Amino acid sequence: MASPSDAGDSLFESLTKVDPKKAEAQAKELEERLLAQNVKAQNRLRELIGSNSTLPVTINKVLLVGGGHTRRSFLDPIFNPLLSVNRDRPYTLGEALHEVGSVATKLERFGIFKEPISTFIDRPSQTDPSTTVTDIDVYIRAQERGRFSAKTGTDIGNAEGSAYGEVQLRNIFGGAESLNLNASAGTRTRSSYQAIFDTPVLSDPEKRITIDALASSTHKPWASHEEGLTGGGLKYSWATKSGMRHQLAYTGVWRQITGLGEKASPTVRNDAGDSVKSSITHTWLADRLNHPLLPSRGYLIKTVSEIAGWGPLKGDVGFLKSEIVTTGALPIPIPGIKGDSGVSLTAGLRSGFLLPLPVGFGGASQPSRINDRFILGGPTDVRGFKMGGLGPHDGSDSVGGDVYAAGSANLLVPFPRVGKDAPLRLQLFANAGRLLPLKDSKGKGKAEAGKSVQKDFYSTVSQLGDGLPSTAVGVGVVYAHPVARFELNFSLPLVMRRGEEGRKGLQFGVGINFL
Amino acid sequence: MAKEEEDLGFWGDARQTRVVKDLFSIPPPVKKLFDRVPVVTYPPNPLPQRGPKTSRVPSLYVFSNDVDAAAGRPSFNPSCLKWQTFLNIAGIDHRLISSNNHASPTGSLPFLLPAAQSSNVSQEFLPPIPSNKLVKYASEHGGRVKEPSNVRYEAYQSLLDHRIRNAWLYTLYLEPLNFSAVAYELYVSPTSSSALVRASISHTLRAAAEAELLKQSAVIDADDLYSEADKAFEALSTLLGDDLWFFGGDKPALFDASVFAYTQLLLDDGLGWKEKKLCMALRRRENLVLHRERLLVRYFGGS
Repeated sequence: MASPSDAGDSLFESLTKVDPKKAEAQAKELEERLLAQNVKAQNRLRELIGSNSTLPVTINKVLLVGGGHTRRSFLDPIFNPLLSVNRDRPYTLGEALHEVGSVATKLERFGIFKEPISTFIDRPSQTDPSTTVTDIDVYIRAQERGRFSAKTGTDIGNAEGSAYGEVQLRNIFGGAESLNLNASAGTRTRSSYQAIFDTPVLSDPEKRITIDALASSTHKPWASHEEGLTGGGLKYSWATKSGMRHQLAYTGVWRQITGLGEKASPTVRNDAGDSVKSSITHTWLADRLNHPLLPSRGYLIKTVSEIAGWGPLKGDVGFLKSEIVTTGALPIPIPGIKGDSGVSLTAGLRSGFLLPLPVGFGGASQPSRINDRFILGGPTDVRGFKMGGLGPHDGSDSVGGDVYAAGSANLLVPFPRVGKDAPLRLQLFANAGRLLPLKDSKGKGKAEAGKSVQKDFYSTVSQLGDGLPSTAVGVGVVYAHPVARFELNFSLPLVMRRGEEGRKGLQFGVGINFL
Repeated sequence: MAKEEEDLGFWGDARQTRVVKDLFSIPPPVKKLFDRVPVVTYPPNPLPQRGPKTSRVPSLYVFSNDVDAAAGRPSFNPSCLKWQTFLNIAGIDHRLISSNNHASPTGSLPFLLPAAQSSNVSQEFLPPIPSNKLVKYASEHGGRVKEPSNVRYEAYQSLLDHRIRNAWLYTLYLEPLNFSAVAYELYVSPTSSSALVRASISHTLRAAAEAELLKQSAVIDADDLYSEADKAFEALSTLLGDDLWFFGGDKPALFDASVFAYTQLLLDDGLGWKEKKLCMALRRRENLVLHRERLLVRYFGGS
């Protein structure tokens, strides 16, 4: 190969050899120029819209592009309010854009379209004699998600892991109705089969009706038995303007306490067998926490009220059951650290009661059964106690109670060096609880049974304050994984009742709802 | 972790094992801390109301209802009644608890839950005693257990366990009239007030009876079952003869209880039998009828 001349070489080199610094500078310049252009374009648009935001417009036509399977009768209630015909006064451009945006978000909430949903505005052709000068056309481009999906995976719930298979049919009748078929097997729930049909009401994503059917079998080692459930329910959920969620549900379920362990206590043996619960439940939730698993600000209040067996509900069990769950979180400023220190205090309070009611119309009320009573204790509620470790115990079985109260205070501190942005905290906690059965006034004649239940209830509630509550303290590590919260704690139970099962030393907890 | 410890112990030398053990044992300062907690221990929580009251005598879990169980009346289930009668004969004081198969450790009733020896119930665990261990339990607890040794004992026992039992299963569960008049009232109605649950349990019961019968023959022939039972009653009647108790004993024994378990229920008009073929077959054997009455008067106050 002939060697090229010197001059050619240097020219060639200067062409091929790219100075990395120069290239970087060039790329940067290009990027900056693009960015500047973008910003300028945006500003121009904003100015344009801003200066025209008071421009009167009328929406003449809304077009959904890509909604092949979705019913017109389902979409009409969503789009009709947009149309100027249905409004008593004209839009300004700003208002119109805002309304169109909120319709797009509403559509997204149905979960039948791929996100994001984009909107366009166009002027209708002036040749169309039916249009006026102020008319605009709205185009909403939404791509429907697949109507069928199937998946398998693993799931983590409160103190339980499971594997599941799921089939989902979306937008079945073109009105965002969905059917979800689900089968799972887990550590505690031995097997579970569920079918859920869900539909929005009147095209409102915040109002939903759900019909479900369930068959499951759950192992309950803290009370040496397995519980089989077969049943179904009807739920209506809605949200208020202020963001509070309500749900009203009817549930009818056949429960079977079976598969008793050899060491099952007489109390559990006594409750073995079948019972039907027919109940209406109302759930109210106000969630103002800034993070579902590791909150540092805000509060959550939830109440659950259930009435079973009473009047036309029938069934085999009758009771009124009510529960309130509250959580509050407060960031703690540390002098010397500007802004959010990452240190926070969370506190939780829970309490509930179960009051026996007569089944049907009249008659005497029956004492509560093990599958209706509360259990308390475990790594996700009163830490430092075993699962169901608090409250009445018959032998080694945790047989549950009718009245409870529990509270917890946790101080969360970011890890040194890891920083406050990592979902990792050190925690110092103290929690306490009390779980009691309804006091037995030794049956003073059936005639005053109704009255005596009430009296028993008040005396049981007053009993909650007898002595110190069962208490544990400890330190631990909290990790908020996107799926669930993990805790590893070193705990020491300080106050206990005989028969209650504390956990000295390490305790591992996985869950979503922690006390 | 425990596994790892074992493996090391097996492969490593003794000293290494000790080191590993030390690693997993609680360090002394922590142990001291553990020993100090809980700082306060209160007396135990009371138990919920629905649980059975503690008792000084053992509890026999049988098919019954609360009123009959409290009064000690005969159970309506043959195998429960057999062992209830046996305990009465053996003189083992007990109380009855009305229950169902879900409560049993073996999946079927009866079983006996021994009474707590001391007043401190929660401290000790006494395993439930299934029916096949009741003879041993009775003899260990001062019961009068005397089993006559007879070469033909097994053969007669099998008459009860197969021929009479099969006819019993058929007449109770598969005769539609008897099922709705007797079995439904005894086994289905008490489980739940829900019609759906009752229908499901009825179906399960009938299917189980049918499966049990099909285990022994390819087809279920009602006439054949009844005639086999009739022959079995005849054989038992001949065996009893003019004696007071079976196998010429001076006192009743387990075999008498086994026969009584069926004769009592078939002759009890209170159950409301509608299809009475099996009852009639028994009524024709007068000595068996009298045998039932003797036991009823002696051990159940004639109720």
